Amino acid sequence: MTRRDRYAKIVLYAVLVAALIVVVGPFVWMLLSSFKSEGEIRSVPPTWWPSHWTLTNYRDLFSRLDFPQYFANSAIVAIIVTLGNLLFCSLIGYALAKLDFPGRKALFLTVLGMLMVPGMVTFVPQFVLISNMGLANSYAGLVLPFLAGPFGVFLMRQFLLAIPDDLIEAARVDGAGEWRIFWRIVLPLCKPALATLGILTFLASWNNFLWPLVVATTDDKYTLPVALALYSIGQNRIYFGLLLAGAVVVVLPVLIVFLALQRHFLRGIATTGLK
Amino acid sequence: MNQRSIVAVAAAAVIVLSGAAGCGRDAGTEKETAKAVSDGKASGDITVWAMGTEGEKLAAFAKAFTAENPDAKVSVTAVPWDAAHQKISGAIAAKQTPDVSMIGTTMQGEFAKTGALDPTPADLFGKDAFFPGAWDTTLVNGTSFGVPWYVETRGIYYRTDLAAKAGFPDGPKTWDDLTAMAKAMQSKAGAKWGLNIQPGKTGSWQSVLPFGWSNGAEIAADGRYTFDTPELTEALKYYQSFFTQKIAPDNLPQGALEPAFVRGEIGAFMSGPWHVGILNEQGGKDFAGKYSVVGMPAGKSSTSFIGGSNIAVFKDAKNRDGAWKFLAWLARPEVQVKWYQAAADLPAVQKAWDDPALSGDKILQVFGTQLKSAKAPPSYPTWEQVSAVFDTEVEKVCVGGEDPAAALRNVQQQASAIGTGA
Repeated sequence: MTRRDRYAKIVLYAVLVAALIVVVGPFVWMLLSSFKSEGEIRSVPPTWWPSHWTLTNYRDLFSRLDFPQYFANSAIVAIIVTLGNLLFCSLIGYALAKLDFPGRKALFLTVLGMLMVPGMVTFVPQFVLISNMGLANSYAGLVLPFLAGPFGVFLMRQFLLAIPDDLIEAARVDGAGEWRIFWRIVLPLCKPALATLGILTFLASWNNFLWPLVVATTDDKYTLPVALALYSIGQNRIYFGLLLAGAVVVVLPVLIVFLALQRHFLRGIATTGLK
Repeated sequence: MNQRSIVAVAAAAVIVLSGAAGCGRDAGTEKETAKAVSDGKASGDITVWAMGTEGEKLAAFAKAFTAENPDAKVSVTAVPWDAAHQKISGAIAAKQTPDVSMIGTTMQGEFAKTGALDPTPADLFGKDAFFPGAWDTTLVNGTSFGVPWYVETRGIYYRTDLAAKAGFPDGPKTWDDLTAMAKAMQSKAGAKWGLNIQPGKTGSWQSVLPFGWSNGAEIAADGRYTFDTPELTEALKYYQSFFTQKIAPDNLPQGALEPAFVRGEIGAFMSGPWHVGILNEQGGKDFAGKYSVVGMPAGKSSTSFIGGSNIAVFKDAKNRDGAWKFLAWLARPEVQVKWYQAAADLPAVQKAWDDPALSGDKILQVFGTQLKSAKAPPSYPTWEQVSAVFDTEVEKVCVGGEDPAAALRNVQQQASAIGTGA
């Protein structure tokens, strides 16, 4: 290794470490501060290490909120939405990438068009629709609008384009039906893309605030983010301790999911772009 | 524009569109009269939405109501304060409203305008029972939609030790006093800042308007906004003077006020009753004797802002009679006192203030006196929009040094363009 290489490496590491501090710093502060008293969190200049460790924030959080209920709601909604996306987006993506049918191009352009519509614009009409269907304040109402999305379809189609047609032709020649081809040949090849889609959908659903807030008209259908907003933000003041402890509890499961699927995630992002 | 306001606008658009299609309703075009409520005890399920602490405490509190009305059941859903506006506007758009909801005073005009709120039955509620400023927040075009539930107002918190050194042991009584005291706190008592008032950002109108009202300004007259009056201009100039003379900080980080006040770096600040709790929590037990509160320093009068929350019944209520009976119960003086003890919300009903639980507290009495004359902005449906414009201009004046008269002309121009919406 030459001298220049070593300097380049040092600079690279310095930049990376700086970036890491910027990205991870707030999370570390959130975690540490969730163990501080309200007074210490508000102290100026702010401290990193709690001078007195306290569990009050967590105790408050768990005693004032019906935690198991909200956690279960969040998990049910996020899991069903994720499974729905994996199934429907890969089906539609497969059709758009590999099957020849009239209107395929128009359909794909529609999907692309839907990507450009901000969710906020369709928010209220969607809620009116769901409540006219009698689904307000139900799990179905929480889940239904998110079972498939244009982004997922687009992602899956782009990935599927890279799978050689010959492979599918060969399977067809060997007498496999379309379903069998999809389940046995195409889907297993899609694992990286599915992992990516799964993580992104799970994250979006887990963090979704506005939709569950409006659709759930009684609090037994609230999801975690909505429940946490309940008592941490008052009319005239914010309870930072409660807010931070809640944020830790909401972030933790997502962090675990991400760490578990991290390898697939990175591969998925890399391969969808390149092939 | 953030996501939430986009949803609010979209919801408003849907409401307007459904109105145009003939299937909506529109309040405010003519005076509505309330239907009577049946006699006797309440029965059936009453669904209630309430925000924050109220949402947390109300369910247990309502047990006393169901004890009196054994056939009734009160189901409370807690709603986050932060998102209450979207939730209620969404529910109105989709006709998914509960029987009863708490309504922030500044949202009242907008929601009443959608036609979703039920007019208040006059036989159940006497308007004289409430603080006049609070009752006014329920009025849209002369019709009351809902009743005041609890109130709050603003006064000046000050360090008694620093004020004594500055030569104002009893706190400031007039505008001149306030300036002189704040200055002397810096020069004689070692405070870094004499006074903290909000230098702009959301809700700064709640700090500026009390000075305007105390100077005789009216921000609405004859069905239009009137911001560019000499009275309000003078008040805003006075407000600005604290920043130009470096008496008040213009970039205090959120949460820095209380520790600085406890350390004596800030001598005084303007805020509402909730700060008593925060200060006692931050300063410890001994600190309670080190500060006091006075009402708004007087210009032509001492007139503060009245905030808090109303509680209203929706037209689509499945249990309208039960809902109004529940509200009538909440407005009883003795229940208002108990609610104060349960949730620390100040009673909107004047008679409740005679109870020793409130009359015995020195600081509360300051706020209680202030409430009698306190005012609220007009309950025009466009108020939230106009107040956002006002807040932006306040920031330009306090932080950017803009001319107050020019700023208010700007507000007036935009407010006229937006209109009252009524």
